[in-house]
Amino acid sequence: MAWLHRLDRLTGQIIAAARWLALPLILLLFLQWPLRDLVGCCSREANDLGQIIFALFVAVSVTAATRAGTQLASDALAHRFSAHTRHRLRQAAATLAVLPWASFIFIASKPIVLASLLGLEAFPDSYNPGYFIIKATLWLLALLMIAQAFLDIFLPPRQGDA
Amino acid sequence: MEWSGLALLILVGAGIVTTGLPATFLLIAAAILGALLGLVTDKISLSILSALPSRLINLLENDLLQALPLYVTMGLLLGRLPVADALYRTSNALLPKRASAPLVSTVLLGALLGPMNGSVGASVLGLSHVIAPRLTAQGVSAARRDAMIAVAATLGVLVPPSLVLILLGDAMLSAHTLAVTATGRSDRVINTQDVFHAALAPAGIFLLLCLALAWYVGRNQTISEAVSGRPSPQQIMLAVVCVVALVGLLGGVVTGYFYAVEAAAMGAFALLSSGLMTGHLRASVLREVLHDALAVTGALFSLLIAATTFTLVARLLGTDALVNNLVAGIPGGDVAAVAVVLGVLGICAFVLDAFEIIFVVVPIIIPPLLIRVADARWVAALVLLTLQASYLLPPFGYALMMVRGAAKAPAPFGDFLRALCPFLIAQWVSLLVILMAPRLVHLGEDTTASNRTGAPVSAQEIDRRLNKMLPPPPEIEPK
Repeated sequence: MAWLHRLDRLTGQIIAAARWLALPLILLLFLQWPLRDLVGCCSREANDLGQIIFALFVAVSVTAATRAGTQLASDALAHRFSAHTRHRLRQAAATLAVLPWASFIFIASKPIVLASLLGLEAFPDSYNPGYFIIKATLWLLALLMIAQAFLDIFLPPRQGDA
Repeated sequence: MEWSGLALLILVGAGIVTTGLPATFLLIAAAILGALLGLVTDKISLSILSALPSRLINLLENDLLQALPLYVTMGLLLGRLPVADALYRTSNALLPKRASAPLVSTVLLGALLGPMNGSVGASVLGLSHVIAPRLTAQGVSAARRDAMIAVAATLGVLVPPSLVLILLGDAMLSAHTLAVTATGRSDRVINTQDVFHAALAPAGIFLLLCLALAWYVGRNQTISEAVSGRPSPQQIMLAVVCVVALVGLLGGVVTGYFYAVEAAAMGAFALLSSGLMTGHLRASVLREVLHDALAVTGALFSLLIAATTFTLVARLLGTDALVNNLVAGIPGGDVAAVAVVLGVLGICAFVLDAFEIIFVVVPIIIPPLLIRVADARWVAALVLLTLQASYLLPPFGYALMMVRGAAKAPAPFGDFLRALCPFLIAQWVSLLVILMAPRLVHLGEDTTASNRTGAPVSAQEIDRRLNKMLPPPPEIEPK
């Protein structure tokens, strides 16, 4: 079980770090307009860097939503369920949906992501470096979902989960 | 086999209501079930399924989706900064001293802040937190207060450049591209800007009706002047700056001066800077805002990736061709076909929220409708009105449930519905007006560049083209 708690801490730390990406994302996307229309340069660079940060942000955000309990769900009948029933349902969803799906994405994307990583693929329109990071974020997304699925399956529910 | 996609969608709806599990997980589970079914019956090959990662990478690099975290952050910041309070007090002070002023101010505030709030949920929470206590103190009944907040919170759906509008614009672009390719028509494919323009007339009609109703229902109530609270000079200044900035951003987007994502970034940057400079955003509050922004963005993005998976599987199972045939078989003209499809969206709204409908149902049902009905702007405006109506649909409408959940002392449900009823009628009137008068969504449009129709194409030819086009090739390398 110790490895599960380490995995839990690691996932939490990645999420805690990723939230700060919102600040450069806002700044870069804000700068696009003045750079394009007033300065007349570097707006493509701001856009490309913004795309990389956006991809990293949303790749982590999916697992952050699962952990924070913000996923869109209806409580119409479920509010009557016991904490135990809710936990079992979450375990079933992690086992039958999230884990197989994320594993499939990780495996099926291997040719695309590896080719991009090994070739250090650049952005197709601007030729700026770093496009490979966007493709690699798909692995980040899948790996974090796999990690969270393991945590949901094997760890007891945290306080406040129910 | 074609029916299995629809059966899975119904299963997802039932699962959402009965299990309480996130729609994301249920959509993924249904997609896995459908994929297994397709693999067993040789309807789907594994190589075609391997196109899914490429589709997900397309989402990760989608320019328009960058608006998601920006709007979510703006909504969270608006909830923590004293903007809503300043606007409400200033609006109350500027309006004639009538009993209906608080209700009219609530509607104006919803229309002004809603588009920047990211979601109806954020609008409900913001208005419930700031405005509801003031309405109660001013003597507005609980039923009327809750009804006004529910209605005002949904105005942001219709007023550009709201998040729902941006996401619907993207979905409509994809749907229209499919329809134009399938029919061979020479239409210009609709884009987000077109959907913004199409939304202006419906938004204007509904807003005017809401303002008129707020004035009418509030004119005889007794309100306490003493607690309305006069705005301080700083609040008036803040309100003026906000209105100028919001109108400037809205105008810039509608006129195409800058993109919606850039407008959202400007709004988020301005709120963030002002929060930091005025000391309202201390480090602990900022950490909390950014964490919530990450988690709420994740909720929307995970729904999008689950919907992408589900719609791919549904198409591979042939559900799109089935839906195409069903839509083609609706008797009557364009109005009848559109009305039936809107009815289906309305039924979906009982179990799915607006984002789920945009991501899951629109990609399945709207392309066949646009094959039959050429006016994509009109369809987009009607879908938007239906989505907005879905938030207020009794008894499970999301805004209704959120308002009652957020209220400290919610009104009895019957009284609440009675107070809401005039606004629901106004909503249906708006929908009916746009349904019967498609010209209203084309105001100011260059008609020479808009929809042109080519020679009519037979239903068999459309089927053939759709079948040829929709199953994605196994190797898609997005560039």
